[in-house]
Amino acid sequence: MKGIINAKNLNLWYGETQALKNINIEIPEKSITALIGPSGCGKSTFLKILNRMNDLIPIVKIKGDIYYNGKDIFEKSIDVNSLRRDIGMVFQKPNPFPMSIYDNIAYGPRIHGIKGKQRLDEIVENSLKDAAIWDEVKDRLKKNALGLSGGQQQRLCIARALAVKPKVILMDEPTSALDPISTSKIEELSLKLKDKYTIIIVTHNMQQAVRISDNTAFFLLGELIEFGKTEEIFSNPLDKRTENYITGRFG
Amino acid sequence: MRSRFDEQLSILNKKLIVMGALCEEIIGISSDALLNGNSDKLENVKIIGSEIDRMEEEIEGICLKLLLLEHPVASDLRQISAALKMITDMERIGDQAEDIAEIIGFLNGRTGEECKEIRKMAETAIKMVNDSVDAYVNTDLELARSVYSFDDIVDDCFLKTKNKLIDMIAENKTDGEYPLDLLMIAKYIERIGDHAVNIAEWVEYSLTGVHKDNNKD
Repeated sequence: MKGIINAKNLNLWYGETQALKNINIEIPEKSITALIGPSGCGKSTFLKILNRMNDLIPIVKIKGDIYYNGKDIFEKSIDVNSLRRDIGMVFQKPNPFPMSIYDNIAYGPRIHGIKGKQRLDEIVENSLKDAAIWDEVKDRLKKNALGLSGGQQQRLCIARALAVKPKVILMDEPTSALDPISTSKIEELSLKLKDKYTIIIVTHNMQQAVRISDNTAFFLLGELIEFGKTEEIFSNPLDKRTENYITGRFG
Repeated sequence: MRSRFDEQLSILNKKLIVMGALCEEIIGISSDALLNGNSDKLENVKIIGSEIDRMEEEIEGICLKLLLLEHPVASDLRQISAALKMITDMERIGDQAEDIAEIIGFLNGRTGEECKEIRKMAETAIKMVNDSVDAYVNTDLELARSVYSFDDIVDDCFLKTKNKLIDMIAENKTDGEYPLDLLMIAKYIERIGDHAVNIAEWVEYSLTGVHKDNNKD
């Protein structure tokens, strides 16, 4: 499978603290890649760097390269807005905007210059359908999104990410605040979405990584220790540190 | 932080070792009766067989509980799934040793002395069972792998035994039942060898993550 994101000798510092150490990884497209590791291992930092969210932090220093579809994302000519349109993000805590369900979804497309009610209606409907929440909200599109349940809010956020037609969706522990039923809906949705999108998910739930991801990357103290097929990583990891982490011997 | 899980795994391990020892004991008794006419302990065979069956159930319960509660991965998953598979083979070994013991009762004191391959077969199969169980106990990969090669000896002996018994029937040297009983015993011993190979393969899988049969092209 072709790599869509390629990190080469990537290092990142928060001030004096090095959070990522010489990361080399090629993420295959149209598949789910799980990033696992104990808190503070650098997995969320790595996730956020992919659509340049760390740029907002003044003390961050980055060395090394990340290529998205062969293009260096730190190049001056790269438009960060269009990068973030291609590489969307879903956060740990559902964060719908305090506006209607419809406007939540239409927000992105509007910013990117899409006007016309019919076109926006289409995008809203398709995005909500793709995020498997259309049937639950189709009769209340004008209602405030904050009235939805946590699980629905998270799927709404996924729909919002889908509305701008991204290629990659970054998910930072998207189900850690959800109950098992909502979690399983998000997991099933992720499996469906990987036909069209590349998904990179940070998770602390080992079983979730096993259930949905094709490949798993294990981070520890800022290093990428092991990256490979999920089945291999969880049945026969090559590195003792991976084994010790996933079997709960530390972390 | 996973002390409870480690404790459970250690219990599982100990139970498997006990079950393996019972398998060694039961085929030891059966073959001693067959080869040396020493039938003093034959009556224990049924008791040990029942204990093996009970242990299979008990270990299966422990494994399923661990799968449910701990969602094991990596070496833990391999150890538990290997245990689940091994106990099936151990239970079969117990059954076949019981079957052999039952047939010995019909031999009227004869020990298959006409057929020296049966002795070699039984001795080899016992060694295979002992070695595969020891390989598990001592996490000895080389010992587990060494078991595979003995299977050829057992298979070869079985073939020779079969041919000898066919000759015996053709020459009309004995009543028809005796060679057939011997053939059944030989077949059970041959199967015990196969189960020992299975156990050794699961030991290898548990230690390396690679199962011999899945590695063939």
